[in-house]
Amino acid sequence: MVFKKWRHTRPFFGAILTIVSGLMILWVPLNLYLSTFLPGSVAVIGLLFGGLITLLGLMSIFLPSASKALGIIVIFLSILSVIGALGGFLFGTIFGIIGGALLTAWRVVPAEEAASSPRSDAAAQPAKTG
Amino acid sequence: MNGAVVMESKTNKKVFWGALASGLLALGILLVSFGLSGVAYAVPIAGVGDFYVEFDKLEGEGYQFYPKLGETSSSDAAPQGTNIIEKLTIDNLQLYKDFQVGGEWIRVKIQASKPVQISGLQHYAGLIEANAKFQNLVLEENNSTDWTKQFQQTSSTIILENAKLKTHYLFQETINMNGMKLTVEKIDKK
Repeated sequence: MVFKKWRHTRPFFGAILTIVSGLMILWVPLNLYLSTFLPGSVAVIGLLFGGLITLLGLMSIFLPSASKALGIIVIFLSILSVIGALGGFLFGTIFGIIGGALLTAWRVVPAEEAASSPRSDAAAQPAKTG
Repeated sequence: MNGAVVMESKTNKKVFWGALASGLLALGILLVSFGLSGVAYAVPIAGVGDFYVEFDKLEGEGYQFYPKLGETSSSDAAPQGTNIIEKLTIDNLQLYKDFQVGGEWIRVKIQASKPVQISGLQHYAGLIEANAKFQNLVLEENNSTDWTKQFQQTSSTIILENAKLKTHYLFQETINMNGMKLTVEKIDKK
């Protein structure tokens, strides 16, 4: 119950998808670096993008109020990660775009309002429960 | 009840689909622009192991060779040669790998009908057969405890003709493959 409450006050699924996508994107350049070390290679970009996307996913869990901005950055980085990391063989990129879109579209509304009018924008702020 | 408002997490569907569509559109534009120029970035063909590269002619600049131990599909540590070439052009490139599926052999083959331009090539080979020409060829021995650094071969240019290379690992920073064709066919193999 506590977990459910906690989960409902942040863009949980968007964040999880984003973290998974970041790890997928990281996998390609990490694999490259473990088998061979290529100084000055574009694979460094992949390492950076994958790391950043994972970090943004974690940030959106702990800073839900910034999730809209974080989501836009996640989408942008996921697309760019095709260069240098192959976007986790494209799966990472697709997951990143979906995760980023979920983060961008996430908001909290009072429970009664959510039930009565699904289009209400009145409370697009982080929740304070309890 | 303590009077606090219960908040609920919601996803704005309109924003979600909008963001998703624009993300996919941007990805599509990026992929199409790659497709049009035929350039792929940071392409590793690793883990496939033991495949063959054949071509009519290779012209490259900035060549370096040194021995190493590396992984193949049948062994964890097999002796190999590392070839590093900064910039190269290959005519009539063919890459192929044979797989045994049931009792039959299947060959997956990638061909490029037009010259292929590659930069930042790193290639581990177990066998190189070719007619080779070098310029400013240097073979040197170094006094090092690391055996892979004891011998090194460098040259400013390299030309290989009618080559067949048994390859274990291939990495390119960028590759421009125009007229690429991928085929999967059954072959006769004893």
